[in-house]
Amino acid sequence: MAAVTLPPASPTRPRTLVIGSALGTGAVLMFFGALFGLYFSRRANTMAWGSEWFPEGAIQLVPGSMNMATMAVSTVTMAWAVYAVINDDRIHSYLAMFLTAVMGIAMINQTVFYFNDIGLPIDHSEATTFLFVIVGAHMAMVGVGVLWLGLLLLRALGGQDTSRHRDLVSAAALYWYAAVAVYVVIWYGIYIAK
Amino acid sequence: MTMSETAADTTGGAGVVPPTSLEAAVTTTDHLVVGRAWIASGALFLVVSLLAGLLANLERLDLAGVGLFGSADEFFQFWSAHRVGFVLLAVVPVIVGLATAVVPLQVGATSIVFPRAAALGFWTWLLGAVLTVTGFLIDGGLGTPGSGSQRQAVALTLVGLLMVIGGICVASLCIVTTVAAGRPSGMSLDRVPLFSWTLLVAGTIWLATLPVLAANAVLAYVDLRGRPAVGFGAEDAIWEQLSWAFTHPQVYVFALPLLGIAADVIPVAARRRLPSHNALLVVTGLIGVVGFGAYAQPAFDLSTPVMTQALYVVEAFLAVPLVLLVVGALADTLRRGAGNLGARPPAPVVLAVLSLLLLVAGTVVGAIRAVSPLDLLDRSTTGAQMTFTMGAALVAAMAGTLWWGDRTMGRVAPQGMGLVGGLLATLGVVLVAVPDTLSGFMGLSDFTGADLAAAGDPGGAVGALNAVAVVGSLLLLLGAVGWIATGVRRMKGAEASPDPWGGHTLEWATGPVEVTSERPLLDAMAEVGA
Repeated sequence: MAAVTLPPASPTRPRTLVIGSALGTGAVLMFFGALFGLYFSRRANTMAWGSEWFPEGAIQLVPGSMNMATMAVSTVTMAWAVYAVINDDRIHSYLAMFLTAVMGIAMINQTVFYFNDIGLPIDHSEATTFLFVIVGAHMAMVGVGVLWLGLLLLRALGGQDTSRHRDLVSAAALYWYAAVAVYVVIWYGIYIAK
Repeated sequence: MTMSETAADTTGGAGVVPPTSLEAAVTTTDHLVVGRAWIASGALFLVVSLLAGLLANLERLDLAGVGLFGSADEFFQFWSAHRVGFVLLAVVPVIVGLATAVVPLQVGATSIVFPRAAALGFWTWLLGAVLTVTGFLIDGGLGTPGSGSQRQAVALTLVGLLMVIGGICVASLCIVTTVAAGRPSGMSLDRVPLFSWTLLVAGTIWLATLPVLAANAVLAYVDLRGRPAVGFGAEDAIWEQLSWAFTHPQVYVFALPLLGIAADVIPVAARRRLPSHNALLVVTGLIGVVGFGAYAQPAFDLSTPVMTQALYVVEAFLAVPLVLLVVGALADTLRRGAGNLGARPPAPVVLAVLSLLLLVAGTVVGAIRAVSPLDLLDRSTTGAQMTFTMGAALVAAMAGTLWWGDRTMGRVAPQGMGLVGGLLATLGVVLVAVPDTLSGFMGLSDFTGADLAAAGDPGGAVGALNAVAVVGSLLLLLGAVGWIATGVRRMKGAEASPDPWGGHTLEWATGPVEVTSERPLLDAMAEVGA
């Protein structure tokens, strides 16, 4: 029997989109890391002198916890979306991405309502300036995530999000999980520790 | 990655309107064109920043008062404009441009990864740079925000700075991803040329540190915008909080690609291999780690002595041996290949060697500055260290454009003119930085504005040194103009050969390809009768 020379295995496709998204998400996390570092540093300085950081009773735990629960659930739906795309399950991928986006919109809506309601102007103190900058930047981050999911939904409707082309969904999931991780710090640092 | 592309015109070209040159320039995603745009724009802002530096140094000729500018705050704006401009509007963009053009070729990628994002990064940076300079020119800058229109101008400067940071971050992301994921099979990371490797390291650290600078700028902007500032946008706070990006250790990571340029230029010219490629990968990686400077900020608390903390001092001293290791390896390569360089070494080699020497001087000054008893942290030594380090990066970038320009432009440059420009720039850097180092020992403050008492009555010696620094600023400016003139002459130069230096890395593997057809694929098919 003649020897058969098999062609070389096709090279592994580099996941450029996932790597690029990981780098971009890392940069966003460093942005928030800087804000949190400054926040906790200034908070510790202020409180070390016995001064008040936020006015008593100004920050309520319930709205923050509701948002935290919403974001936590959205990690499950986001993972569901990735799983569905990997398995070429188009219907479930529509549903999962749609639900994730809706939860992001709900979180933004809830935050805007609450910050209109608490009656603290942005220039009330250092603490409120930080509060609005950090929470505002996070809302922007979630907003970008929602837009990304909207794009993914359009692609999915066009049949482009398949198991062969799942990188965009994986990259979006990475970004979304980072947004949830940032909110965990906000929830603890602002709503719980106050 | 799946990309949506406009369907190719199969109608034989009827009805196709060719883009105008402006449309082509604005919409191009060709990494060579985008890289050239970065370099050209960076060169323009280099002249602007050096002019600001020259004016600030002229003001220092008379320490008795503010004569050249209308007020101490205006003087401060030009002084800080020079630093911001030199680093973020000039040297870093030129390096980013060189990387955008060369790195994809070096690693064997067909193009830069995310070409549209790379173009977006450039345009974002350019718009931000224009806004930043405009902010400085309309009495904004990063000085003390007064009231009314000046506050708006400071806010505009901060917005411009944010866009500059965003543009550099996006471009860095594309470059780093190209090195990380755009390599062909068989090119493992340890085989990546050192220029690309240093961009991988530096770009990653830029992505980790520049967002921190952006966070500071956002806080200052929000605090400043339209209401009494609480603290972040208040007097003195803005520059104090942002200045960590323009001094030790952050400047090392901005200048890191210069080691890659030298490590790619010298072995090829000397026809000798580097003693240990892998060791240099590790050492340059460590320099990148040492250059992480985002922690060295006062957190809007000007009394926090970050610069006297152990980590800051250790990093200052660690940078010296690490840089010396790389310089030693390259010097050994030069020594072994000295016979191959000829009587007149190529201009890029001369400039690469000079940039290494300037970097060594920068790290040594940085280490001396960190010695607490010498009390140099807020003296003019700080500016000297920045000038040495970023000046080294500038001279290396000049070497890089002379080295790779034949490949990226397809035209030959007058190497002699480029060499003169680089030598003038090197001399200028030395004549600015050495006097500032010495003046620091004599008590000259880093910024000597209206509070001239802070200068400690430096006396005639400092006055003479400041005069030398003015000459240095002028030479640096002339050097930059000479380098720009070299680039302009290159555009009209003779056609370059594909591999003028006998290089061995992938960027020299093919000659410049110029696609002139609107329908290259169809034309190619027609040629072969398909």
